[in-house]
Amino acid sequence: MSGRRILAIARRIAQQFRRDRRSLALLIVAPLAVLALLGSVIRDEKPLETRIGFVAPGGPAGAPIVAGLSTAATEAGLTVVDAGPDAASGRAAVQEGRADIVIVLPESLAARPLTVQVITLGESPADDAARIQAAAGLIERVGTQGLELAIEHETIYGSPTADALDTFAPALIGFFGFFFVFVLTGISFLRERTGGTLERLLATPVRRSEIVTGYSAGFGFFATIQVALIMVFALGSLTVPPLGPFGGFEIGLGIANAGSPLLAFLVIFLTALGAVNLAIFLSTYARTELQILEFIPIVIVPQALLAGVFWSVDSLPDPLQVVAHLLPMTYAIEGLRSVLLRGADLSDPTLRLDIAFLAGAAILFVTLAGATIRREVA
Amino acid sequence: MTMTIPQSAGPAIEAHGLRKVFGQIAAVDGIDLAFPAGRIYGLLGPNGSGKTTLIRLMAGLAVPTAGSVSVLGTRVPSRPLLARIGYMTQSDGLYAELSVWENLSFFAAMSGQRDPSALAEILEIVELGDRRGTPIVELSGGMRRRLSLACALVHRPPVVFLDEPTVGVDPVLRYQLWDHFRRLATAGTTLVVSSHVMDEGDRCDELVLIRSGRVLASGSGSEIRQRAGTTDLASAFLKLSGVPTDPAAVPVAEPIESDSE
Repeated sequence: MSGRRILAIARRIAQQFRRDRRSLALLIVAPLAVLALLGSVIRDEKPLETRIGFVAPGGPAGAPIVAGLSTAATEAGLTVVDAGPDAASGRAAVQEGRADIVIVLPESLAARPLTVQVITLGESPADDAARIQAAAGLIERVGTQGLELAIEHETIYGSPTADALDTFAPALIGFFGFFFVFVLTGISFLRERTGGTLERLLATPVRRSEIVTGYSAGFGFFATIQVALIMVFALGSLTVPPLGPFGGFEIGLGIANAGSPLLAFLVIFLTALGAVNLAIFLSTYARTELQILEFIPIVIVPQALLAGVFWSVDSLPDPLQVVAHLLPMTYAIEGLRSVLLRGADLSDPTLRLDIAFLAGAAILFVTLAGATIRREVA
Repeated sequence: MTMTIPQSAGPAIEAHGLRKVFGQIAAVDGIDLAFPAGRIYGLLGPNGSGKTTLIRLMAGLAVPTAGSVSVLGTRVPSRPLLARIGYMTQSDGLYAELSVWENLSFFAAMSGQRDPSALAEILEIVELGDRRGTPIVELSGGMRRRLSLACALVHRPPVVFLDEPTVGVDPVLRYQLWDHFRRLATAGTTLVVSSHVMDEGDRCDELVLIRSGRVLASGSGSEIRQRAGTTDLASAFLKLSGVPTDPAAVPVAEPIESDSE
């Protein structure tokens, strides 16, 4: 071992970093920025605004319990709303967005324990869990006043027994659809720029729009295959029977799917199209493949933290909510959740907004990508 | 789509007051050119003298800061004109993952060449006919240069810009390439070839010696040598540049390579 040679190698790396200020800045700034973002998302998480309704279909006998629950809810900072006279009106209140959670008392109040029905939307199990916890707190407070209460959870969409995977699947499908296509396109187009092939390409009568469309089609094709496979694996479930010495097994995650897979596919396709062209655009600002990877903490990580993969956008601090509403992945995840969990179709205004935003973002990125492909590249 | 390029009885390539500035540096600084068709023009000069920028301006890949260029009677830049221009970049400009045939087919498609026999013909000319299926990563440096040349010529353009086409090419292949350039010129193609190898100058019909973005001298190799009073182009270049030709007296000189390396 030669200390001089080791030192020379270490010094050379330091010199390279010194001349690659972006990598140096990223090395130092990116972890702090991501941690700060994560800290803000977790510590400044806003308490969920909860509108709660109480239903007592058994008539006036349930009134004291409803009164107790309403008082406890108000004391806990929840907004009490009218959910109608029975379970059906309670479901309608949740489905129409007038209430976030409805507690339905049983018709007979004689049974012990008294089983109450808790109705939530079921679109965001993270939000549902927080609201059910709040409701359980109310019930506990009322229960200590002499009543023994039990909770039965019902959701409008999805299944109350849905596990974490059911919640994460739409978000992860959206995330992967964006992430891999972004990185692969970025590296591929950077090679075009640095390898001389783009210059050669631009010395032919090819139009910029043809290059962008060709890239979108080429990477779009593989993104399509990728997303199709992800969706089949995530949504499908195939039981393979035992064969000889091999035991039976299941393929696919069998995640609940309430809506049209084709509509979900449209959402993810628009997301991938935007990712392809954003990568072409950003490749202008990279000189090496390492610098393409350096876009991950800038482009991918904030979307993973803010777009609703792990935390509800509504629970983010206000300034971060503004940022979240500018990110394509927020709309991709919301759209996929609407379709897959809620069974939304094109008559749903939220889904229409999601698709419109993703299409708009794709058009913006296509335009930006086209603008960076100039015949004058030096 | 059929593209129509007006034919011109004038020079194949014409430039007036051509200037290209990058920041504080003028890479091309007021160049006038008139190249009649069917000849080989050599742009000779050291590295960084502005040859590549001049070629890119003529091919319409760079926008001049001042001045203008016309190729085949059409003002540059013109997208339809690019169908009649061949351009070989200084780097190989090939897709490493693709095979010889796939690269050639791709650039043929981009240039509008639909005749498969043209692809086979150009591959034979550059002696890669037996390498059709070979991936680029398995080719030698010389083979890559030959394929790069084939990609520039596959659509049989009447005007060809070749940026340092013989860099890294062995003497035998270099001879063959120049032989092919001559045959193209005889057939009416106008070739503009840049090089920093002065000895290649004598293979051209006309030379333009460039230094610091300016034309130092132009004419045939023998005319330039005669004007400088030297027996070789490298010495002529140095003398016309005002650099002493006595090696001991040369303080700093930009690299001028000779073919005898």
